[in-house]
Amino acid sequence: MKLPVSVKVSAFALIVMGAYTYYANSIPQIQSKPPEELSLEGGNVTPEQLVKAGEGIFKEKGTCEICHRIGQKGTRAPDLAGTGATASKRKPGMGAKAYLIESLLDPAAYLVEGYPAIMPKVDRPPIALNRSELWALTAYLQSLGGSVDVKLDDIPKSAGATAGGGAGTTTEFKMPGDPKAGQAVFMGKGACVACHKVGDVGGPVGPPLTEIAKIQTPEYIMAKILNPASMGTVSGFPPNVMPPTLGQTLTAKEYVDLMAYLLTLKGGAAGAKK
Amino acid sequence: MARWFTPPRLRLSLLFLILLCAVPVFAQESKEVAYRAFPYIGSRLAVRAIAQLHLNFAAFILGVPIFAVIIEIMGWRTRDPKYDWLAHEFVKLTFAAFSTTALLGALLLFLFVGLYPKFWAYMAGIFTPTFWIYAALFFLETFTVYLWYYGWEWLSGPKKWVHVCLGVLSNLFGTAILVVSNSWVTFMVSPGGIDDAGNLVSLWGAINNYAWMPINIHRLIANIVFGGTIAAAYAAFRFLSATSDEERARYDWMGYIGNFVALSAFIVLPFAGYYLGREIYAFNQTMGITMMGGFMSWLWIIQAILIGVLFIGSNYYLWLGMERIPGSERYRKYIPYLIMVIAAGFMVWATPRSLIVTLQEARAMGGTHHPILGFLGVMSAKNTAVNLMILTTFLSFLLYRRANKASLRPWASTGVAAQWAVFALAAAIVTFYGVYGYFVESIVRIGFSVYQVLAVLGAIVVIMAIDIPMFKGAKATGQIRWGTIAPRSQYVLILLAVTFTWLMGLMGFARSGIRQHWHVYGVVRDSSPDAVTPALGYAANVITIVTIVFFALVMFIFWLGSLGDRGKEEAHAHAAPVIAGGSGAS
Repeated sequence: MKLPVSVKVSAFALIVMGAYTYYANSIPQIQSKPPEELSLEGGNVTPEQLVKAGEGIFKEKGTCEICHRIGQKGTRAPDLAGTGATASKRKPGMGAKAYLIESLLDPAAYLVEGYPAIMPKVDRPPIALNRSELWALTAYLQSLGGSVDVKLDDIPKSAGATAGGGAGTTTEFKMPGDPKAGQAVFMGKGACVACHKVGDVGGPVGPPLTEIAKIQTPEYIMAKILNPASMGTVSGFPPNVMPPTLGQTLTAKEYVDLMAYLLTLKGGAAGAKK
Repeated sequence: MARWFTPPRLRLSLLFLILLCAVPVFAQESKEVAYRAFPYIGSRLAVRAIAQLHLNFAAFILGVPIFAVIIEIMGWRTRDPKYDWLAHEFVKLTFAAFSTTALLGALLLFLFVGLYPKFWAYMAGIFTPTFWIYAALFFLETFTVYLWYYGWEWLSGPKKWVHVCLGVLSNLFGTAILVVSNSWVTFMVSPGGIDDAGNLVSLWGAINNYAWMPINIHRLIANIVFGGTIAAAYAAFRFLSATSDEERARYDWMGYIGNFVALSAFIVLPFAGYYLGREIYAFNQTMGITMMGGFMSWLWIIQAILIGVLFIGSNYYLWLGMERIPGSERYRKYIPYLIMVIAAGFMVWATPRSLIVTLQEARAMGGTHHPILGFLGVMSAKNTAVNLMILTTFLSFLLYRRANKASLRPWASTGVAAQWAVFALAAAIVTFYGVYGYFVESIVRIGFSVYQVLAVLGAIVVIMAIDIPMFKGAKATGQIRWGTIAPRSQYVLILLAVTFTWLMGLMGFARSGIRQHWHVYGVVRDSSPDAVTPALGYAANVITIVTIVFFALVMFIFWLGSLGDRGKEEAHAHAAPVIAGGSGAS
């Protein structure tokens, strides 16, 4: 039986495409997932925990490993082995901690000889580390041959201010609820204030929420209220303390109002009042 | 006049303009919603599939008219009717695909406005003035192409120059449309003209972003390659279905021209790719490094394989074509050496440097890259390989070109010696900088690729400058026996079309994938459930399905287009010329 040309040509094209598809499916399958936000503010984090968190940022969200190696000379960026100690000798009059923080926030301020000015500011998009992440990353870099003494307050308050991406979906997020009514839920029915501080008011059991709108995404906060266990626990705080049924005890309006209130908490006096 | 207001393409144009006018309204109404989900398959897949289909059709209808008008000019100047027939045949192919392109464009716009309203509102806030330019160009192009196609007979004879001008004008409008829409897509990759908060500072800065001009050049060249391969595949299909020697000869010639056009543009395409890569690095090192050495590193191995297939296929087609040229026997001895160079280049280009491997694989190999072969995986080796492959392909073409010719110039032997010397010099320069690149820093090494490219381009120009006068008025050793080429050569043409279409899909994934979890890189974050950039296997499955749909649609559209010609051929002024045994097309 003689096959029509259209059948032969179609079969040939399918075999060719099938071969390409098979090959593409037979190699390592790697997805690129959006990085998760790390929040350590207000927590009693041990230096070991901080260094471990910083190592994760170094390898993943910070994408530092693309250019920097530890114990191996890179062609694009300096070897970071022992940087915790050598950082103090880079810039006259500047200590290791200050130098490392400056290197992250303003990499072009000082260039190691022989390397071009290609490093991006890591608190700006697209890397966009927040203050907690900068704190942890600095601690990790200090741990490479030096001693870890960096505090959250060493990281400038302005750092990571545009971490979410300057325009579009993230920064324009607005809840339709009433922040005043939400504050009442926070202080009353929700009993959030029993464990969380806003400004000077509130308990110490959970992490303070004074800057929660600045350091966390709305999606995270919403999910944390509805299903606390699914979002993990901030380092330094006891796990599984937040009531799992909180989301169910609130009415839809109370939930929306509470979210609207939490999204106003960006640090400073406004969040700390009352 | 009335007939111009009835075709579907024009109606689609009007629909498109109305849609475009409504864009800012949609943007305002959808302020509160960031994302909507497309049923069953999700928003990302819906946009991805329609965007790829739209781009395939758009590339075809923009690419083919470029070489159609060049062929028409050749026919006009040489007074050879077969070129005019071929140009008309090519335009006929694109004409049938115009409506589908516009329809898919409108559908893509619906998807953006409906599924990604927040993102679209941001883009509209930046680019609204360009939407009006785009719409105006769309109208101008529509009218010009209609005049060009339907006026073929009316504007013939002494008015032919007017017709040619219409062809040129429609290409200019088409290219302008491409350039405007490229500004939107490249802004998403390398945004410019905005402040830190993403507010517009300069519209020209937003248009003229880092990736804009390289993408303009890259897409323009790639569209010609794509149009050439699709036209050649169409001719191959008609060749294989032909019932007479005359028809076989006609479509053999058409396939050759299509492939010639594709190959001519293809050999300069890697250079445009380098330019694009360099600008991406200039915009953001992190993005560039993620693209080449991060989670996308395997993508370039697949790309290398596809381009290797294109090089080998193009050369194989030329070698098979030489068998229908009396006098080509004297050049067949070179073919094994050409194969060796291309195969070696292919192997080098497909050699990875450092890839994400399992711990066991890394231990077995002694690191993230092979201790010996790993050195062939760096850009120095790859640039050298691809430049030598381009030189070799050019040599194949040169041998094909002179297969049935014997120069009558007294200086012919000196000319040939000079050509070989230029080839050798170019190969030496390419190899020198390839080796030297191992001993310098990456920032210096990147600059070497420019010298390599200039050496190859320079060699092509100089060799052709010698070749054209050397073979002008040359003695023919025999006529090309059109239609006698081996049928397997036609499958090579289909292989080239399928591979290039698949490659376009892969490169589309690369371009959008390097943004990772950003709609607009570093400015508008993708916080939708689809923010994950999928793995290559998934991307390949999508590319294959869309490519199958594309070819099915193309076959259907071409079949529809051919319905109108049935029974008309005898009466038509563009009745197919007799080509069997003809020459001069080389």
